[in-house]
Amino acid sequence: MWHSIFLVFQRDYFGYVKAWGFWLSLMAVPFFMIIGASMAVLAAETTPERYYTVVEEGSVYADAIEGEFVRAFQREQEYAEEMIGNLEIELPQGQASQNAGAIIDDRKFHLITSPEQSIEGLRPYLTGEKLVDGPVGAKPLFAAFILSADGQALEYWSNDVNVDTLRYYAETAMVRLARTQGLEAEGLTGDFLNALDDGALSVKAKRLRNDVAASDAASDVTLADKAPTYVAGALSYFLWLMVFSIIQYLLMGTIEERSNKIFDTLLTSIKLPELLTGKLLAVFAVTSTMMVCWGLFAIVGGGVISAQMPGVSDVLTPLLSALADPKLLIIGLLSFVLGYLMYGVMFMALGSLCDTIQEAQTLLSPMMILLMLPMFAILLAFQDPGSPIVDIATWIPLFTPFLLILRMPTDPPLWEVLGQLALMAVTTSLIMWGATRVYRAGAVHGAGIGDLMKMFGRKKIST
Amino acid sequence: MTPDPLVLENVTKRFGSFTAVDDLSFNVPQGQILSFLGPNGAGKSTSLRIALGIMDADAGKVALFGGKPTVSSLRRVGFLPEERGLYKKMTARATIEYFARLKGLSAGEARARTDELLEATGLGEFRTTSISKLSKGMAQKVQILSTLAHKPDFLILDEPFSGLDPVNQQALEDLIRSEHKRGATILFSTHVMEHAERLSDRIIMMARGRKVFDGTLEEGLSALGKGVRLSVEDGFDLQAALAPKGFDAEQLPEDGLRPEWRVALPAGKGPQDVLRAAIEAGAPIVSFLPEEARLRDVFVALSSEADAEALRRDELETQHVA
Repeated sequence: MWHSIFLVFQRDYFGYVKAWGFWLSLMAVPFFMIIGASMAVLAAETTPERYYTVVEEGSVYADAIEGEFVRAFQREQEYAEEMIGNLEIELPQGQASQNAGAIIDDRKFHLITSPEQSIEGLRPYLTGEKLVDGPVGAKPLFAAFILSADGQALEYWSNDVNVDTLRYYAETAMVRLARTQGLEAEGLTGDFLNALDDGALSVKAKRLRNDVAASDAASDVTLADKAPTYVAGALSYFLWLMVFSIIQYLLMGTIEERSNKIFDTLLTSIKLPELLTGKLLAVFAVTSTMMVCWGLFAIVGGGVISAQMPGVSDVLTPLLSALADPKLLIIGLLSFVLGYLMYGVMFMALGSLCDTIQEAQTLLSPMMILLMLPMFAILLAFQDPGSPIVDIATWIPLFTPFLLILRMPTDPPLWEVLGQLALMAVTTSLIMWGATRVYRAGAVHGAGIGDLMKMFGRKKIST
Repeated sequence: MTPDPLVLENVTKRFGSFTAVDDLSFNVPQGQILSFLGPNGAGKSTSLRIALGIMDADAGKVALFGGKPTVSSLRRVGFLPEERGLYKKMTARATIEYFARLKGLSAGEARARTDELLEATGLGEFRTTSISKLSKGMAQKVQILSTLAHKPDFLILDEPFSGLDPVNQQALEDLIRSEHKRGATILFSTHVMEHAERLSDRIIMMARGRKVFDGTLEEGLSALGKGVRLSVEDGFDLQAALAPKGFDAEQLPEDGLRPEWRVALPAGKGPQDVLRAAIEAGAPIVSFLPEEARLRDVFVALSSEADAEALRRDELETQHVA
C-alpha cells in the first residue's frame, strides 16, 4: 500500500516541482520581499527635500510649524526608546539616543525666507519658473502659507495637491498655537501645556509571576511574555497561507487528470484512497518545500540583519523559545495535519468535478469566501485570544485548526482542547468520506458540479 | 483447478432508468482470445469497468482470478481503457516505468522492461520525449506498452484499434498474437468485426446491454444459414419458378436496379443446385453470387435493425478516423 502511495507521491511531487510555476512561486516571495523592503528604503531616501515659506508679519506661525516638526521627532524618539526598553536590548554607546537637531536635518521640509510677500509674487516660484535658495540648493518653492487679509486663516498654497504632510503639520501647529495663546492670555507661560504633558503618569505593563516579587523589575511585561501569542499567530497564519496556496495545486492537478482520462488506468493499479493520499501528501510536500525555502531565506536574512543591527537577536530569542514550547508544537502539528486534510480533500473533490480551468474558476470565488472566514477569525483571535466569541468559534471545525493554535498561549482548559480536537477529527473524517465519494463520482464516473446534489441522494450518476 | 481469469454472473448495471448492462453472464477461460463486439453504447465498456472493479454492479457477481477484484489480482491484469489518457508532461519512458512500478515491478525491472519495449516498437529514440510532443499514434503506442510492461496474465483492451491507422492496427494485431503466444489471456472489445474475425477464439456480441451471441466464429456463421443471391430481368417471378424444385426464393428490397432475390440453401444443397434449377426454370439470370457470410451479418441477424444501423455508423466513423 505504502509503496503505491509513495509512487503517486513521487510522481506528483516531482511533476509540480519541475514545473516553471513552482520556481516562479518559490522565487516570488523573497524577490518581492527584497523589492518591497528596498522600495520602502528607496522611497524614504529618495523623497525630495522641499522648501516652504510662511508669509506673515514676524514669525509666529512659522515658529509654530517648525516647533511641530521638533515635537514629532521627540514623540518618535520616546516611542523607540520605550520599545527598546521593552525588548531589554542593550544598544552600543552613542546609539542610545540621538539629538533632535540631527533628525531635523533629515526631514523633508525646510523653512525658507519668502522671496515675495503675495501669492501673485510667489506664483513663478511655486510653478517652478523661478528657484529659491535654501539648505539643499536652489529649488522651486513647494508650498507657501499666507495669512489671509482678515487674519482668520492661514492659506496653504501649493501646486502639488497630493502631498498633504506639510498641511497636516501646520493644522496641528495652529491648534497648539491657539491653546498656547489662550493659556498665555490667562497668565500662564507657553511651556505650561508641554509641562502638563510631561507630568502625566506613565502606564507600565506588569505581569504577576509566581517566582518573582510584584515589586521586582522582572514583573515588567516584555517581548518574552507576548512571544507565544506572536508565534501562535504566525503559525496560524502559516497554516492558513498553506491551505490558501494548495487550492490551485489541488484544483489544477485534479482537472489535469480528469481531462487526461487517466483514472481508469490508475484505478486498476491502486485503490482510490491510496491515490488520494499520495496526491495530498505530494501537494503538502510541495507547499512545505516552499515554506521551508522561505523559512531558510528568512533565517539567512535574519542572520544578516542581526549581524548588521545589534539587538535583533534579542528579539528572535524569545520568539524561538516560544516556538519550542511542546504544548504549542503538538497542538500545532495536529491542527496542521487535520486542517490540511479537511480543506485539502474538500478542494480536491471539487476539482474532480471540473472539466476545464474555466469551470474551476467559477468555484474559486466561493472557496475564497470560505477561506476568508477563518482569516477574519484569526485576526479576531490574535487581538483577543481569550474572548468568548473566539472560544465559541474554536468549536466550529472549519475554524478549529487556526483558532486552537492561537488560543494555546492563553492556557485553555484541557477538556476544551481535547473536545475541539476530537470534533475536528470527526469532521475531517466525515469530509474525507464525502470527498472520496465526490472524487470517485467526478473522476471515475465523469460527474459534474451539477451532479453534486445527486451524489448524496439515492439517484445514480449517469455516465 | 486454476480459476478462469474472469467470470461475470448475471451482472446488471443501471444509470437512472437506463439499463447499460442487462443480466450479463460470461467467462473468459485461461489462454483464450475473446472479442467483445457491439456498437457504441452496447454496454461493452461498462461491463469491462465492472469486471475490473472500477465501477460496482447493481446486481450480479464478478470474479477476477476466482475472487473479487483486488489490488493483487489487478496486478495480473493489463488494462487499456477506451478513453486513452496519459500524463502529458511525462516522458515516454517515465510513463511506462511509472505504470509498471504501480503494477509491482521494481525500479530496475521497470526500467529494463521499458527500454526493451520501446526499442522493440521503434520508439527507442523517443524515450525522453514528453507525451505532449509525441504524435497521437505514438502516444497510443506508449499507452499500450504501459499496459503490457508488467507482462500481465490477462489483458483487457477496450477498443484498442480505435484511433490507429491501418499500419498500426496491423501492428497491434501482431502484438496481441505475440502476447497470446506468451501465454496471456486476452479480452478485447471492438465494433470493427474484421479484427474479431482475424484474432478471436471466441466472440461475445452485445446489443443494448444484452448478450446476443456467445460462441466461436464458425458457430456464429453456421447460425446465420447459407444462401445465394440472384438478379433476374424485370418481371420474372423467381419464387414461382423455383418453388416446385424445392427452393425458397425471397425478393430483397428494391435498390433501384434489377430485382434481387435471395435463395436459402436447404440442407444438402449447394449453390450449383440453385443455379441449375434456375436455368432449368428459364430464369433470365443477370448475376449470380453465392453468399459469403461475415461476422457483421451474424450481428445483423441477431440484433435489431437499429443496432445494426448503429454498428454500421460506428464502422464508417472508425474508417473515417483511421
